[in-house]
Amino acid sequence: MPESWRKLLVGLTLFLGAGMAIGWLYDRPETGLLIAALIALAWQVRQLLAFDRALRTRNFEAFRYGDGIWEQIFARFVFHSERSLRHKRRYRELLREIRKSTDAMPDGAVVIDTNNEIVMSNRAAKQLAGLRPKKDRGQRVDNILRDPGLTALLQSGDSEASIEIASPVRVGDWLNCRVVPYGADQKMLLLRDVTDRLRLNKMRRDFVANASHELRSPLTVISGYLDSIAEEPEFEEWRMPIAQMQSQAQRMQQIIAELMELSRLESAGRAGTRDVVDVAGLIASSVKAVQSRGTTPAIHVEADRRLKIRGNGTQIESVITNLVSNAARHTPEDGSITVRWEASGKSGLLSVEDTGEGIAAEHIPRLTERFFRVDRGRSRDDGGVGLGLAIVKHILSRHDANLSIDSTPGVGSAFRCEFPKDRVELEETAEAALKSAEG
Amino acid sequence: MEASHLTDHISRRYNKDIEDLRNSVMTMGGLVEDQLSRAIAAIVSGDSELGLKVASDDYKVNNLEVNIDEECSRILATRSPAASDLRLIVAIIKTITDLERIGDEAEKIGYLASQLAAMDRPSDSYRELKYLGNHVSQMLRAAMNAFARLDVEASLEVVKEDDRVDEEYDAITRQCITFMMEDPRSIRRFMNVTWAARSLERIGDHAKNIGEYVIYMVQGRDIRHTETSDHFESPA
Repeated sequence: MPESWRKLLVGLTLFLGAGMAIGWLYDRPETGLLIAALIALAWQVRQLLAFDRALRTRNFEAFRYGDGIWEQIFARFVFHSERSLRHKRRYRELLREIRKSTDAMPDGAVVIDTNNEIVMSNRAAKQLAGLRPKKDRGQRVDNILRDPGLTALLQSGDSEASIEIASPVRVGDWLNCRVVPYGADQKMLLLRDVTDRLRLNKMRRDFVANASHELRSPLTVISGYLDSIAEEPEFEEWRMPIAQMQSQAQRMQQIIAELMELSRLESAGRAGTRDVVDVAGLIASSVKAVQSRGTTPAIHVEADRRLKIRGNGTQIESVITNLVSNAARHTPEDGSITVRWEASGKSGLLSVEDTGEGIAAEHIPRLTERFFRVDRGRSRDDGGVGLGLAIVKHILSRHDANLSIDSTPGVGSAFRCEFPKDRVELEETAEAALKSAEG
Repeated sequence: MEASHLTDHISRRYNKDIEDLRNSVMTMGGLVEDQLSRAIAAIVSGDSELGLKVASDDYKVNNLEVNIDEECSRILATRSPAASDLRLIVAIIKTITDLERIGDEAEKIGYLASQLAAMDRPSDSYRELKYLGNHVSQMLRAAMNAFARLDVEASLEVVKEDDRVDEEYDAITRQCITFMMEDPRSIRRFMNVTWAARSLERIGDHAKNIGEYVIYMVQGRDIRHTETSDHFESPA
C-alpha cells in the first residue's frame, strides 16, 4: 500500500475515532461519528471542487492541496500534462523540420491518395507546376495539371514509366513526371525540371542531322568527278589511287546515310502496331542480298512462317540485314551462320548465330555504341561502318524489343532479339488448327 | 477551396455523379489545352504534320462534349438538382460548349499551320502569333484552374485579361495590313496569319466566358455584358 494511501486511511480513521470518542463523553457516540464524517466529507468535496476549478482556469498556484493524497494526485497530473506538452512541442518542431526539408528539395513532390486527391505538396511543386500547398489540398491533381498524358499515367499506376509535360507556370519549360507508390495506399507524384536536358539532347540530334546533311552535297560532287576521271585516267599510275579514293568516298557516303538514318530513328516515336510484318520473308530476302555481295559462309535459315511482328517492315528488315551482314563479316568462309525466327513462350525470338572469332566479354556492353570497334588496329576495309548495331538497338527499342548478345572468343557469337507478346502474332494455319483440335 | 461543399449530399451516389462530372470537364479542358498548345507549336515551328494531327484529333474533344452533355441531362432528369448543384450543372453545360468551340478554333489553327508551313517563312517565325498564342493559352489555363478551384478572384483576372488579348489582336491585324500593302504577293500568306490571329482572339473570348461561368457558379451572379470595373468595388 503506498504511503499516501496509508496516511489518508489512518488520518480518516483517527479523525472519525476522535469524533466518536468526543460523542462518547456526552453519551452520544453515533452523533459524534456522524458529525466527524460530515466534516471529513465537506473537506474532501471542497478539495475536489478546488481541483476542478484549478484544471478549468489553469491557475494551479491558487490550488491549496495540502499534503497527502491530493498532493500526490496533483503532482502526477502536472507531471503528465507537462510531458505531453513537451512531446507536442517536439512533434511540431519535427514536422516543421520535415516541411522545411521537403520544401528545400529542388524536385516537386506531391503526395496523393487513391482518388488522386492532393494530400501534401512541397514548395518546388508550386514553383514548377503551380500547385498551391495549402489551398489545393483535397483537389484532384489531374484537375489542376490537366495534361492528357499525366491523366493516363496516373490511371496506369506504372511506377517505372515517366512522361514529359509542359510546365503550366513557366512557358517553354518541361517537367518529367513519375508516379511512385508511397505509404499504404498513397502515391507520390515527382516533378523534375528537365528543360536543359531536353534542350541539350535536341541540340546534339540537330547537330548530327545537320552536319551529315551538309557533308553529303560536297561528297556527291567529289565522287561524281572521281567517277568520270576513273573511266579514262590521264596517267596510268593514277588508276590505283583513284580506285581507292572512289571506294573511300563510297564508304563516307554510306556512313553519312547511316548517320542520317540514326538521327531519323532518334526523332521518330514508337513504331506503329498497325502493319503486320512477314519476318520469314524478310529473312529470306536479306540473306539473299548479303550473299549477292560476295562470298559468304554457309547460311542456314530456320524461320517460322506463321509468326509475324506488328511494326515497321523497313526497320525490321534493316535489323535482319545488319545482323546477318555483321555475322558474315566476322565468320571465316568455312564457318556457318544460323538465322532463327521462332516463338519462345509467348514472345518472338529472332537469333543470328555464327561460328566466327567471337567477342571478348568486356567489349560486349559497348558493342551498340556508335563507331565502337573491338580491335582499334584492325583495318576498316571489311565494309563495316560502325553504326549497324547502334541502328539495330534503336529500332528494337522502338519495337519494345530486347537485344542480348552471347559470345565466346574463338567459338562464335549469338545475337538474340526478343519481341514482346503484344508485338507478335501467330497466324493459325489450317494445318495447325487441325493439329491443336486433335490434341 | 470550397470543393467540399459540392459533395455534401446524403446520397453517396449523387456525390459521386457530380464529382465524376466535374472531373470529366477538367479532362476535356486538359485535352483542349493540349490541342491549343500543339496548334501554336505547329505554326511557330512550321510543322505541317503536327498541324494536320491537331486538326484530325478534334473529334476527341467533340466526343467528350457529347458525353458530358448527356451526363448533365441525366443528372438534371433523375436528381432535379437545386441551388449550387443546379448552378454547377448549368455552368458545366455552358463551359463545355465554349471548350468545344475552342477545340474547333484549334483545329482551324492546325489547318492554317499546315498551309503556312508550305509558304515562305518570315525570319522571326511568327513571333507575334507565338506571343498572342501563349497569352491565350495562359488565359485558358487560368480559367480552367479557376473552375477547378472555384476561385472568383482568378476568374475576374481572366475576364479582365481579354481586353489585352484584343489589343494584341488589333496590333497583329494592323501589322499584317502594312505588310500586305508593301508586298501584294504576300497577301495570301498574311491572310492566313490574320485568320490564325482571329482564331486565337476568339479563343480568348471563350476563355473569358468560362471565367464568367465560374463566377456565376460560385456566387450566383451573372456578370456578362456588364462593366468589369463594377465588380472590383464590391466583391461579395
